[in-house]
Amino acid sequence: MTQSAGTIQVRVRDVTKTFRRGSEQLKVLDQLSVDILEGQFLGLMGPSGSGKTTLLNLIAGLDTPDSGSIEVAGAEISKMSESELASWRTRNIGFVFQFYHLLPVLSAFDNVELPLLLLPMSAAQRRQQVLTALQIVGLEDRMLHRPGQLSGGQQQRVGIARAIVTDPAVIVADEPTGDLDAKSANEILDLLVELKSSLKKTILMVTHDPRAAQRTDSILFLDKGRLVTEMPAFSSK
Amino acid sequence: MKYFGLVFRNLSRNILRTLLTAFGTMILVFVVTLVWSVLAFLDQATQARSEKIKAVVTERWTIPSRMPYAYANLLKDGAAREAGEVKPIDYMSWTFYGGTTDAKGQDPTKFLFAIGMEPEKIPTMLDDLDQGSLSAADFALLMEGVEKLKKTRNGIILGKDRLNAQEKKIGDRIKITSVNYRGIDLEFEIVGTFPAGRYDSSAIYRIDYFNAAMEAYPQTHAGVAHPSAGRTLNLVWLMVPDSAAFNKVADQITRSPNFSNPSVKVETSSSSIAVFLEAYRDLLWGARWILSPSILLTLSLIISNAIAISVRERESEFAVMKVLGFRPNQLLVLVILEALIVGVTAGFISSGGTYFLVNKVAGGIPFPIAFFSKFLIPNGALWWGPVVGGLTALAGSLAPALSARSVKVANVFSKVNG
Repeated sequence: MTQSAGTIQVRVRDVTKTFRRGSEQLKVLDQLSVDILEGQFLGLMGPSGSGKTTLLNLIAGLDTPDSGSIEVAGAEISKMSESELASWRTRNIGFVFQFYHLLPVLSAFDNVELPLLLLPMSAAQRRQQVLTALQIVGLEDRMLHRPGQLSGGQQQRVGIARAIVTDPAVIVADEPTGDLDAKSANEILDLLVELKSSLKKTILMVTHDPRAAQRTDSILFLDKGRLVTEMPAFSSK
Repeated sequence: MKYFGLVFRNLSRNILRTLLTAFGTMILVFVVTLVWSVLAFLDQATQARSEKIKAVVTERWTIPSRMPYAYANLLKDGAAREAGEVKPIDYMSWTFYGGTTDAKGQDPTKFLFAIGMEPEKIPTMLDDLDQGSLSAADFALLMEGVEKLKKTRNGIILGKDRLNAQEKKIGDRIKITSVNYRGIDLEFEIVGTFPAGRYDSSAIYRIDYFNAAMEAYPQTHAGVAHPSAGRTLNLVWLMVPDSAAFNKVADQITRSPNFSNPSVKVETSSSSIAVFLEAYRDLLWGARWILSPSILLTLSLIISNAIAISVRERESEFAVMKVLGFRPNQLLVLVILEALIVGVTAGFISSGGTYFLVNKVAGGIPFPIAFFSKFLIPNGALWWGPVVGGLTALAGSLAPALSARSVKVANVFSKVNG
């Protein structure tokens, strides 16, 4: 378990997760404990199968642990039902995907607005929040474009706008620069750092890219479902 | 409303697939509409009525029914002889006369089958020709022909299809070389036509014109009567107020000694039609219980296939929507709504289009069975289409919708991210 100062935004205690592959039982996380502070930009690294994405999914409320507890923004999510998790996720988690996963039939505006459809808001309120999110990522002039009309970097910006439009407590990013060229990747990382600095967002990012990891505050290394070490990122800031 | 917007956007994702599914739905709903229209019409015709019942008197043991014309005068009073016996409120008598206007007899389109009856009974005894059933214009058209027929002994009223087949118009004359009364060839003057619809293929002439020709036959045939003389009356229709009156009239006629050679039977028009349709029983059963369900099942499978492909293509999108907080049932409803919109819309266009095309443009489905030459699409068909389309869409989309509902978020991402 890590020891840190400041408000703990995410608290993971003795979490174990096992998956079944055919007749085989795979223990992906093994009694893992970790604390993430509010406003911290944390990188998750490790070899394939180390449990990074699984930890991300558990913290994001996309799955539940077999044992242990997970507390995010004051809510004990490890015991919530699927329905409760869905509702909680909308308000508290912003998810950035490696492959953007924008709905191709919707414009950038509509894609960003999608999570807001689940909240009790007027159309005017939704519009205002979407415009704000698009302005933060610098794409307000492309809001009527469909994903097919945007570059990879622009699509990821839309993905980030969608992730922040509900003003969530935590942003989880699963290899957000994995499908981008170096220039676009840097722009996305700049944006994430900006979100952390100016909006005080807690960001948890899974990455294989050391350059991306360098932009974080600290890095957690996982191997075989266990926390190997946590270290500050080598940053040039 | 935004949710519905997402439904429509998803349908536009693959326009070709959506249109092909809709088109397939429209074709099958069209077939179902035609089949159900015929079945509904026959069901209605065979359904016993409770008031203003039409009874039909026919020869008991022989088909076709051929009775002496002298029966007509006795039957129109329901064979009532004593006080307290019931008389029908209206009647008509029929003599069938068929032949060709093609002198060489080689053109089948020139064949004409006509019903001889009392002209004043046309608007009162024939179905759907009364003033309440027709528009003012149609009733005026009909009555113009009826009044002329009353004044023209050799007049004939032809339906639209008969006029076209004979290539004649009102005012023209035709000469029919008879096939069922050989030697009695009659010349007619076309005095009117029927309103478009059920009677397009019908032809009606004056029964007394035929009777006069039958009586005059010996004068040109060495005093020998026509072989069919005395057996020219095919049907007598009687209108009675209710089923109790029908039972009494039927009893009066059956007990009367005047109808013993040949003997007659009395039945309601609906039961006589049912007896006539007995020969088609298997065909109609097959249409109702095999053909129709098969079509509905095929329709469900078409929609199911299209929706299943669409759901498979969008598996990761559904996973993303779950990540964003959409409930599984919201995804289920999304998929079902997509299917319903296609099914209901295509169904409505199909049945509505069928109604318009068959009833207003074509004037009915040609299906010569019993005494019906054409069938019309009932008003109920306007809701058959959307209901059939909707229900089959619902049934067909259920499995794909459940699949969308149960997309595992974690499983999808592990496949995508490796």
